[in-house]
Amino acid sequence: MSLSQAALVFVVLAPGSVFGVLALLWLLGWVPSERTVSRITGLTFSACAIALAALLWRLASTGATAVVVTFGNWFAVHEYRFPLVLMADRLSLPFLAMTVVLAGLIGQFSATYLHREGGFFRFFLLLHLFAFGSLLAFAAGSFDLLAGGWELVGITSVLLIAFFQQRTAPVENGLRVFGVYRACDIGLLVGIFAMHRWAGTASFAGGMPALTGARATIVCLLLLLAAAGKAAQVPFSGWLPRAMEGPTPSSAIFYGAISIHAGAYLLLRAQPLLAQSGVASACVIAIGAATAVYGTIAGRASADAKTSLAYASLTQVGVVFVEIGFGWRSIAIAHILGHAVVRTLQFLRAPSMLHDYHRMHSAIGGEIAPTGRNPEDLLPERARLWLYRWAFDRGHLDTILDRWVIDPLMELSGLFATIDSITSGTSVRRRGAPGISVRSPARQEGD
Amino acid sequence: MAHPAWILSSVAISVPWCAAALLAVYRRAPRVIGFGASLVSVAASALLLRAAPSGQSLYEALMLLFSCLTLGATLVLPRRDCSSATIGGILFLLGATLLAYASGNLLVLLAAWILSIVPFLLKRWFRARTWRPQAGLLLSTIALALAIGLIAASGHAFSIDRLKGRSPGGMAAFGLLVVAVMFRKGICPAHAWVADAAEGGPAIPTALLLNGHLGALLVAKLIVPLFPHTAGSAFPVLSWLAIATALYVAIRALAENSPRRLLAFLALSQSACILAGLESRTAEGVTGALVHWYVVTVSTMGLFGILRLLEVRFGENLTASRYLGLAEHAPRLAVSFVVFGLALVGLPGTLSFCSQDLLIHGTLMSHPITGLLLPIATAMNAVSVFRLFTRLFLGKRRTGFTLMADALPRERWILAAGMLFVVLGGLFPSTIVAQRSAEADTVEHTVSAGEK
Repeated sequence: MSLSQAALVFVVLAPGSVFGVLALLWLLGWVPSERTVSRITGLTFSACAIALAALLWRLASTGATAVVVTFGNWFAVHEYRFPLVLMADRLSLPFLAMTVVLAGLIGQFSATYLHREGGFFRFFLLLHLFAFGSLLAFAAGSFDLLAGGWELVGITSVLLIAFFQQRTAPVENGLRVFGVYRACDIGLLVGIFAMHRWAGTASFAGGMPALTGARATIVCLLLLLAAAGKAAQVPFSGWLPRAMEGPTPSSAIFYGAISIHAGAYLLLRAQPLLAQSGVASACVIAIGAATAVYGTIAGRASADAKTSLAYASLTQVGVVFVEIGFGWRSIAIAHILGHAVVRTLQFLRAPSMLHDYHRMHSAIGGEIAPTGRNPEDLLPERARLWLYRWAFDRGHLDTILDRWVIDPLMELSGLFATIDSITSGTSVRRRGAPGISVRSPARQEGD
Repeated sequence: MAHPAWILSSVAISVPWCAAALLAVYRRAPRVIGFGASLVSVAASALLLRAAPSGQSLYEALMLLFSCLTLGATLVLPRRDCSSATIGGILFLLGATLLAYASGNLLVLLAAWILSIVPFLLKRWFRARTWRPQAGLLLSTIALALAIGLIAASGHAFSIDRLKGRSPGGMAAFGLLVVAVMFRKGICPAHAWVADAAEGGPAIPTALLLNGHLGALLVAKLIVPLFPHTAGSAFPVLSWLAIATALYVAIRALAENSPRRLLAFLALSQSACILAGLESRTAEGVTGALVHWYVVTVSTMGLFGILRLLEVRFGENLTASRYLGLAEHAPRLAVSFVVFGLALVGLPGTLSFCSQDLLIHGTLMSHPITGLLLPIATAMNAVSVFRLFTRLFLGKRRTGFTLMADALPRERWILAAGMLFVVLGGLFPSTIVAQRSAEADTVEHTVSAGEK
């Protein structure tokens, strides 16, 4: 194994190994101090950053465009193989660097921010698992392996939304986000199956699976479903404000930087396929444009800082989707990197926003006077009012999801329960109300 | 079966029965006796597995798995439940289930089948409070007995090896076997008894009964080898029923607030996937089904075990209709629950990620439309298991008692062993998948040969 290959393997495995060791030791009864945890985190991500720098230096000095590490098959049944291939190319390297640097910074920030918080250790465990999942997804050489990292990112995201577990709203919202993730991930699973079925492989380390025509369109649309779910694109945008219930550092890294861009990464990775399908490209553009418009309108009616930032993030990711749809790959990558860094900073400063404003006002010698002019002033008052209501209810997306998906499912479930109770002679009412709170509070407590 | 194998099988089966008989007269130290007897079964099954030729070790592997499960159950059983009657019943069930796995004779299989349900028909053992579990188990037994009667009358033999590929008894015997599978596995519309058994009976023994998966065993042991021609054409019906069950029960679980019933529905939905995979007639699907058999068994056993431990600590009126906040009191039980729960529904890094991957590929290949329902059912199950986790463990800390113990050392080690199995199996799945793949070939070839 060459130096660059070893560096790539180290970068991906280090956070996962730290997670595994810390979790095992905790299960056996060891509870580390805050200082120990933050030092381990700092060391891990510093080492990853050095290894990544070595990898970049090596690539630059040899002129190679990619590093591929093949471990054979994770498992295989006849012709069906799950290849264990890591790959760092011009697409994945920026994402790997972004993950390592931002996760390390968030780790250092959180050591102070979450000082004496009850779930301090849990947060850092999940941060390592999230970093591992993200790095695995970005360094995967096949869609199969990418799906593994993808799912890990999803579950850590949900567990961090429910971080403040004593309050019910974060937990309810975490469950809702989990439901949306799992539903949309079906697209990824079935898309991978379709690639195996039609192209014989889902590996892209040696080039994308050869698909054209309707098959390429079907696969791209399935991947788009997964990407739209993970990136909170329309019509799945309703979960994003709910995700703001988590601690600010996790909101910053998940919804300002990495997780929110994972969908864009998936589409960038699948872009050779996307280029084969005009229909799929048009869908990507339409969804991205709709999300950008939705995000900017809904964000204007948000009353708290984190939700406003989340919608601003959504708008930018929508624009990134449009860029991907048009095939502007380099612009999309530059946009993602710039947006991730700026948005992370904004999220991290959100808790001290008032303090920042006061400092700014002090510096300029008075408050900034708003001009009072907004684009919506161009609309008639009735349309403005309607738009405000629409934005305030976040485009009715949650209402639509409740009315057309969750309510019918719960009613069906209740009907099945009634059928079961008929033969048992027991009352279904005894077992209580429906299980999923379909009208769970979506808004932040500050709204 | 070779002579040493026969001896090892006899040891694995008879020692638990002898221990159960001992406990009936000597009612002391039941946990020690149960542990010792299960340990002997584990050792004998391990030796059997080691001696088994490659590609023909399915039943030996299942014997080892079930013995380990029983060993874990004897340790994790709360002190309140650890009576000589309970341990005796569990050991009786162990012997009967191992006999079913090891049998190569129709009459022995029928006897094992009947013996495995006996503890769940008697009030002094594990009989549930409602009538449906007894009815379901009895109807499955009657269907099996009738099928075996038809097979024996038509094939003039009781040896499974001698009857292979002859379709003895024709469609009538095949249909009766399918009915037996449906009742025993809880395939729709015969699914309701499983939740009743879980709610109205003792949690851990009921979990053992369900995780014997004798319905799936019947498919692998009798239906596929004896009826390859019929199976080739009529098998899809069973597959559709299994997929329908997985989906129906997954939807049913969404509104369920009784933790025991909810877990039973999850176990049922996921184990229905085993049948769908076995029927898929693809190497991926059958291998996925066999690997998933392991995952479902270990995960649901872990989940039922943890639930029982919670009931003993916090009262038996646990519900998923409100937040109980038990993670503050029992963080390790909470972590174990979420690991087993997510392992059941395909969390990456656990063995079920591999088994689900194979299952979905296999079923989609054989049934491109209905196969789509399997990932949908799994997604709904994931939501249900996560909801149960959040309702039990998250939320405001429960007051009203001063301090409750988290997992005790003996419980912690058993749960850790279970988690290690699903996690290490998920990180390094190639060995387990390769072994099951070889066995899957045998199943697949049998059905494919029948189709031709």
